[in-house]
Amino acid sequence: MALNGIQIFKLTPKKNCKECGCPTCMAFSMKVAQGAMKIEQCPHMSEDALASLSEATAPPMKTIKIGTGAEELTLGGETVLFRHEKTFVNKSRYAVELCTCMDDAAVDAKLAEIPKVDYDRIGERMYAELVYVNCDAEATADKYTALVQKAAALGRTMILGCSDPEIAKAALEVCKDNKPVLNGANASNYEAMNAVATAAGVVLGVSGKDLNELYDTTAALEKLGNKNLVLDVTGADVKETFGNAVQVRRAALKDQDRTFGYPSIVNLAKIAGGDYHLQAALAAVFTMKYGSIIVMERMTYAEALPLYGLRQNVFTDPQKPMRVEPGIYPMNGADENSLVVTTVDFALTYFLVSGELERSGVPLNLVINDAGGLSVLTSWAAGKFSGNSISAFFKENVEPKVKSRRLVIPGKVAVLKGDLEAKLPGWEIIVGPREAVQLVKFLKDLDA
Amino acid sequence: MPFNQKPQKFNAKINTVTVGTGDKAVTIGGNSTFPFYTFDAPTENRPKIGVEITDMGLDEFAPGIKAYYEGCTTMAEIAKKAAAMEGGDFVVLNLDGGDPNGVNKSTEELIAVVKEVAEAIDCPLVVEGCKNVEKDAELLPKVAEALQGRNVIVMSEKEENYKAIGAAAGLAYNQIVGAESADDINLAKQLNVVTTQLGVDAKKIVMNVGTATVGYGYEYVVSTMDRIKGAALSQNDNMLQMPIITPVSSETWGVKESVATEEDMPEWGSEDERGINMEVMTAAADLAAGSDAVILRHPQSVKTIAKMIDALV
Amino acid sequence: MLINRIFSGNDAVYGLTEKAVNDAVQQHGADKAVGFPHTAYCLPCYYAVTGVKIKTLGELQAALSVVKSLMTREHALEDALMSGVATALCAEFIEALKYLDGAEPYQEPCYGHLPDSIIRELGVPLVTGDIPGVAVILGSAPTAQEGVDLIKSYQAQGILVTLVGGIIDQAQELGLKMGYNLRIVPLGKDVTSVIHVVSVALRAALIFGNVTPGDAASLLTYTKDRVPAFVNAFKPVDDVILAAGAGAIKLGFPVISNEDENIAEVPGALIACPNVADFNKVSLEARGIKIKITKVDIPVAFASAFEGEIIRRKDMRVEFDGSRVDCVELVQTKEMNEVEDHKITVVGPEVDSFEPGSKHSLAYVVEVAGKKMQPDFEPVIERKFHNYINCIEGVYHTGQRDMFRIRISNDAFAAGFRARHFGEVLYTQVKNEFEAVVDKCQVTVYTDPAECTRIRHEVAIPTFDKRDARLETLTDESVDVYYSCILCQAFSPSHVCVVTPERLGLCGAVSWLDAKATNELDPNGPCQIITKERPIDVNLGSYEDVDEAVKKYSQGALEHVTLYSIMQDPMTSCGCFECICGIEPFSNGVVIANREYAGMTPLGMTFSEMASMTGGGVQTPGFMGHGKHFISSKKFMKAEGGIERIVWMPKELKETVAERLNRTAKELYGIDNFTDMVGDETVATDPEVLVAFLTEHNHPALSMDPMM
Repeated sequence: MALNGIQIFKLTPKKNCKECGCPTCMAFSMKVAQGAMKIEQCPHMSEDALASLSEATAPPMKTIKIGTGAEELTLGGETVLFRHEKTFVNKSRYAVELCTCMDDAAVDAKLAEIPKVDYDRIGERMYAELVYVNCDAEATADKYTALVQKAAALGRTMILGCSDPEIAKAALEVCKDNKPVLNGANASNYEAMNAVATAAGVVLGVSGKDLNELYDTTAALEKLGNKNLVLDVTGADVKETFGNAVQVRRAALKDQDRTFGYPSIVNLAKIAGGDYHLQAALAAVFTMKYGSIIVMERMTYAEALPLYGLRQNVFTDPQKPMRVEPGIYPMNGADENSLVVTTVDFALTYFLVSGELERSGVPLNLVINDAGGLSVLTSWAAGKFSGNSISAFFKENVEPKVKSRRLVIPGKVAVLKGDLEAKLPGWEIIVGPREAVQLVKFLKDLDA
Repeated sequence: MPFNQKPQKFNAKINTVTVGTGDKAVTIGGNSTFPFYTFDAPTENRPKIGVEITDMGLDEFAPGIKAYYEGCTTMAEIAKKAAAMEGGDFVVLNLDGGDPNGVNKSTEELIAVVKEVAEAIDCPLVVEGCKNVEKDAELLPKVAEALQGRNVIVMSEKEENYKAIGAAAGLAYNQIVGAESADDINLAKQLNVVTTQLGVDAKKIVMNVGTATVGYGYEYVVSTMDRIKGAALSQNDNMLQMPIITPVSSETWGVKESVATEEDMPEWGSEDERGINMEVMTAAADLAAGSDAVILRHPQSVKTIAKMIDALV
Repeated sequence: MLINRIFSGNDAVYGLTEKAVNDAVQQHGADKAVGFPHTAYCLPCYYAVTGVKIKTLGELQAALSVVKSLMTREHALEDALMSGVATALCAEFIEALKYLDGAEPYQEPCYGHLPDSIIRELGVPLVTGDIPGVAVILGSAPTAQEGVDLIKSYQAQGILVTLVGGIIDQAQELGLKMGYNLRIVPLGKDVTSVIHVVSVALRAALIFGNVTPGDAASLLTYTKDRVPAFVNAFKPVDDVILAAGAGAIKLGFPVISNEDENIAEVPGALIACPNVADFNKVSLEARGIKIKITKVDIPVAFASAFEGEIIRRKDMRVEFDGSRVDCVELVQTKEMNEVEDHKITVVGPEVDSFEPGSKHSLAYVVEVAGKKMQPDFEPVIERKFHNYINCIEGVYHTGQRDMFRIRISNDAFAAGFRARHFGEVLYTQVKNEFEAVVDKCQVTVYTDPAECTRIRHEVAIPTFDKRDARLETLTDESVDVYYSCILCQAFSPSHVCVVTPERLGLCGAVSWLDAKATNELDPNGPCQIITKERPIDVNLGSYEDVDEAVKKYSQGALEHVTLYSIMQDPMTSCGCFECICGIEPFSNGVVIANREYAGMTPLGMTFSEMASMTGGGVQTPGFMGHGKHFISSKKFMKAEGGIERIVWMPKELKETVAERLNRTAKELYGIDNFTDMVGDETVATDPEVLVAFLTEHNHPALSMDPMM
C-alpha cells in the first residue's frame, strides 16, 4: 500500500531546509507520495526513516531509461492498469526490425524507409524511435556488428536482439555509448549476458519460454544486482504474447509483485511476421495493453498515422485534456478575406469542429483561442473563453493578419455576442450552431 | 519460485444477445473477463464483425472498397456481396441518406431500401439511423416494423429519441435496441435505465457507447469502455452489462488520413493502405477496450480483424 | 344506489350475452370458429384478463361461467367494478359474434375492431407522448356543435379520440372529417363497440408492457399507469353505460359525465361536469395528462442564439430598470385550484402607451401548481428567467430578483412584442423545462407602477426573506437525505460529491436545494438521493448509507467518505473545486487557496500544485477541494475542530468570506473579527513567518490538539 503525503511528512525532519528543492517538507512529501520525487532526495532523512520509506514509496514498476541525449527514452514507471484511474506516464515506443537474415538491398531499403516518417502532431514529434537489430542463429559476430554499425548511422536508439554473449559483446563495442538495449538474456545464458550488459552499462532484455521461466530468470538477475531490465514478453503466438503482456503488468501493479515491475518488449515481427495488416492491428492492441516497446517489420505512414494518433490519445492525462496550439488555421483554401470561425483549444473540440468545417468545403479561417485546453462551456464558465480573452487574442493575433471582419462564435456561448460586438468594433458577430455536426448546414445557409 | 499467477475472476458477465434468426444468427456478449483475457476465463463468444453498406450505394465508398463491390448495381446485389465478405458475421445498413441536412431521402424511400437489403440476405442485419435525432425517431420505428420477425438490431437510439425508437424496436416489433451515447459511462447507463423503464428487456439492448477514430479524441472511447466493462464485471452493474457494438468505419473513413489522395499527399503513400490501417487499428483498439462487435467496411480490414480475433481467443 | 345500478346494468348485459351465445351455438354448432380479424390475441380482452384463448363458439359458451364468476353481488365498490369488467367481457363476446363467418359488420365511417398493426403503430406515439391521451366519447352531446367542439379540442392537443354512439351521427351531421390518420376514430354506434378501444388498451399492455396474459393485477397496473385514456359519457347515462363505465374505472380510466340524475360522484373516477365545454380541462386534469407545448407564441424569434444580444440605448424602445424603479420577478407555489393553466394577465398599461426611450416599472409573477411542486424549487425556476428572457430576439435581461433590467428593442416592438409576451415566454419555458413538477402555470405581468411597488415590497421581498431564512435553518441535521452529484465524472471518473445543506458541491454551483430539484426533475440524472439513516460517527460525518452511495457512484473506486474531516477519508475532488484547503503542519492548521490566486502559499505549493495532487477523484488526506461558501460553514472540517483551524487565505478570498466567517467564529467560539488573526500573502508565504504572525495574534490553532 502506497503511503500518502501526511504519512511521509511525519518521517521527514520537518526543517523546511529547502535543500531538496521544495519550499517546505510538506510540499516535498506530497511530491514523493505522487511519485514525482524520490525519498532519497531529502538529505536529512534518518537511516531508519529512509529504510522504512524507500520500500513503501518505491514505485511498483521501475522507470527505465534507454538511449542518450535527444534520443533518450523513458519506459515503464506506470502506476495504474487503466488510464482513467490516474494516467499512463510513459508512452509505448515503436521499433522497426532489421535482421542479419535480410540481404543488403533489403537492409538498405529499410534504412532508407525509416527516416521518411517524421512529422509533428499536436506538438509531438512522430517517428520510429527505435531500431531492433536482430541476430539470427547463423550470423557471425562480424556480420552482426556490421549490421549494427549500419543501423547506428540512423541515429535512433537500438535494441540488439542477440542471445550470444560473445556476439553481443562485440556489437556493444561499437554502439554502447548510445545506450541501446541488449535483448537476449534467458534461463540458459543470463549470467554471461548480465556480465556483458553490465560491463557495457546498458539495459538488459530478458525472455523465457513461459511466464515462470521469465519470472525466475528476472529474479535471478535481480539477485545478481541487475535491476536495469526490460522483459521480452513475446510468446509462441499472439494469444500467449497478449496473455504475458497483461499478466506481467497486472502482477506488478495490482498484486505488487515487483519482480515483474519492468517495462515490456513485444515483438510483432515474430508473432505476425509477413502480415503488415495484422501487425498494425496488434500494434494497436499492445499500445492499449501494456507493450512498452513494440517491434514491427515496418513503419510507413500507413502504420504511423493511426498508431501515433492512438498513442497520443491513450497516453494523455485524463485530467489534462489535450490542447492544440492557439492560432489561425486557414481551411479549404481560405485567404485573408475569408470568413472567420472561432473555438477553443481543447483538442477534441478542435478535431470535431475542424472535421466538420473541412466537410463543408467553405473557405474560412479557423481561429483557435487560448482557453486553457478546456471545452467551450467549461472554459467559458472558468472565464477562459470570454469577451475579454477572445477580443484580446483577436486584436493581437487575428486583426493584423485577416481582413475579413465576420466572425462565427460557438452557439453555446451565444451569450458573448453583445460583449464581443462591444469589444471588437468593426466585427460582425454571428452566432453559430451549438453542435459541430450542424456546422455544414449552418455554413451552407449562411452563404445562401 | 515460479510466478504466482492470480486469475481475475468476476461473478458477473456481459449479457448474451442473439441477432438474426436461424442458422446464421450470431451471438454477442456473454464474456466474464476483460477483452481477450483468456488466461482468466475462456472466451464465451468471440467478438463479431459487421460489414457496413449504406443506402447511398457505392458513391461514398473509398476506391478500395468500391473495387470489392464492382459490378453491383442494386442495393440487393451490394447486400449479397457484403454478406459474402470473408470474416464478416452480419451486414449493417447505414441510412445516412435520410439526414435532412444531407440528401434527405424520405422515410418511404429508405424503407424500400431496407426491405430490398433484408430480402437479399439471410445473415443477421443491423440498421443504423441517419444521425438526425428527429428523423431517426420517425424513420427507425418504421424500420423496426418493416423487419418484423428478423430480430435485427435497430441502432441509433439516443437520449433525445429513446422513447420512439425504444418502444418501436424493443416493444412493438420485438427487435434489439442499439442504445447510443457519447463517451460517458453515466449517460450510457442512464439511457439503459430509461430504455428498460419503457419496458424493454435489458437482454434485448446493445450499446454503442461512443466511437472515434484513433487520434481523434479516442482517449474518451478507451476510458468509457474500460470503465463500463469494469463496472459491469466488478460491480455487477446490470445496467451496464449490455454488449457493446461499435461502428468504426463511419468514423474512420471520414478523416483526412483516410481520404486524402496520394496526389494530394504523395509522402503519405497508398491511400488504400492508409484507409485500411485507420480502420484496422481503430477496430483493434475498440476490441481491446471492450467492444463485443465492430462495424467495418473494407474487405481487407474485415479479414485482418477476423484473423486478429482468431489469434487472440 | 350507484352500485345497484351497475349490478343491474351488468345483469342486463349478461342476460343478452348469454342468450346471444347460446343462440349462436345452437345455430352454428360448438365447433364454429369465432374471433376478430387481424389479431393474434383471440378475443383480446378475455385473453388478457384470463390467459385463455377462445377460438370456437363452444369455448365462448364455456367462458360465460368465468364471466359469471366475476359478478359477485356484495354491496361494495370493488364488486361493482368487477361487474364492470364482466360487462366489458360480455360486450366483447357480443361484438365477436358480429364477425362470424368473416362478416364485415362495420361500415364507413365506423371501424369496429382494430387490428394488431394499429396498436403497434399507436404504441410508439403513446409511449413518446406524441399522443398524450386517448379520449373515449360515448353517447350524444347536448348539441352537435358542442360535441364537435369537444372532439376538435382534443384533436388540437394531439389526443386520439374514439367515438361510440350518437356522437358519430352528430360529427357526420356537421361534416367533421374523421379517420385514423386524423386521430378521430368512430368505433360503432352500439354501446358494446366501446370494447374495441378497451381491446386496444389491453393489447398494448400485452405488447408493450410484457404483461403475461391472465396476470390481471399487472394488466390493471399497466393500463392505469401507462394508458392515458379517459371516458366522456353524455347523458343520459343508463345502467348499461354505467356498468361499462365501471369497467373503465377498474382499468384506471376516469369517467366524466354531464349526467346529473341518479348518479353519485366517485372522486377521481366518476366525475360530474355539468358543462360540456369544461370536459376537456376536467378530463386532462383527472387523468394527469400534460400537453406538450412546442412553440412559444410570440411575434419575434426565441432561441439561445439571441442570448448574448445587447440592446443599446439608441436601439431601445423601453426599459425596465430595477435599480431605479420597482421591478421584480417571482415564482409562487399555489394550490391546484388557484391556478388556471396558461392564463396570462397584464395589469397596467401595455408598452404601446410608453414614450419611446422611457424607463418603467415591471413585475412578473409566475404562479405554479403541481402535485410534486415544492416551494424549495421556486428559486431554481426563478434563476432560469434571466436565460428565458434573454433568448427572446430583441429583448435583453440582466440581473435577477428585484434588481433586474430589461430592454425591449425598437425592432422587437415594431414586430409586435409587448409585455404580455413575457408571460407567454415564461409560461411555455416553465411548463416545458419543469414539466416534472409544474402541472399548471399562470403568469401575471404588472406594468402599473403602484402595483409593482406593492408586489415588490409586500409579496416578493417577504418571500425572499423567508427563503433566505429557510436557507439559514437548513442544516445537515434538519434534513432527512443528502444528494450525490456526479456531474463532473466525465473529467474525473471516480469522483462523487455528497451535497448537504451545509456543504454545497465543491464546484460552488450545486447547493442542496439545486441537487434536490435536479433529482426531482430528472430522477435518473446526476443527483441521486442518499439516505442518512445509519450513522457510523456523527462527528466525522460518516454514514453507512453515504459509503454505500459513494461506492456505487464511483463504480467501486471509493469505499469510505467522511463529510466533516479532511484527515480521515476526506471527500474526493474532481478538478473544478473553487478552493483547496491543505494542512499546514507548523501552525497546526490549514491553508486555503482559491482558484484565482496564482501566488505561493505557506505550504510551499501554489493552488495549481495543490490541485494536481488533490484532483481526479483521489482521496488525499490532509487536502480537500471545496466551494467558497463552505469556508464559513459550521461543518467545515468540524472533525478537526472547525474553522478555528484556518490559518491562512489569500487576501481577496479572505475579504469575500470575512463577514460570514467572522459570524460563524463568533457563534462557535466567541471570537471577534476572526479573520484578523488569519494570515494572507501580504503577511507571509512561508511557514516560519506565518507562525510568528499567528503567535503574535494568538491564533487559536496554535494551542489546539495536533492534527496529525
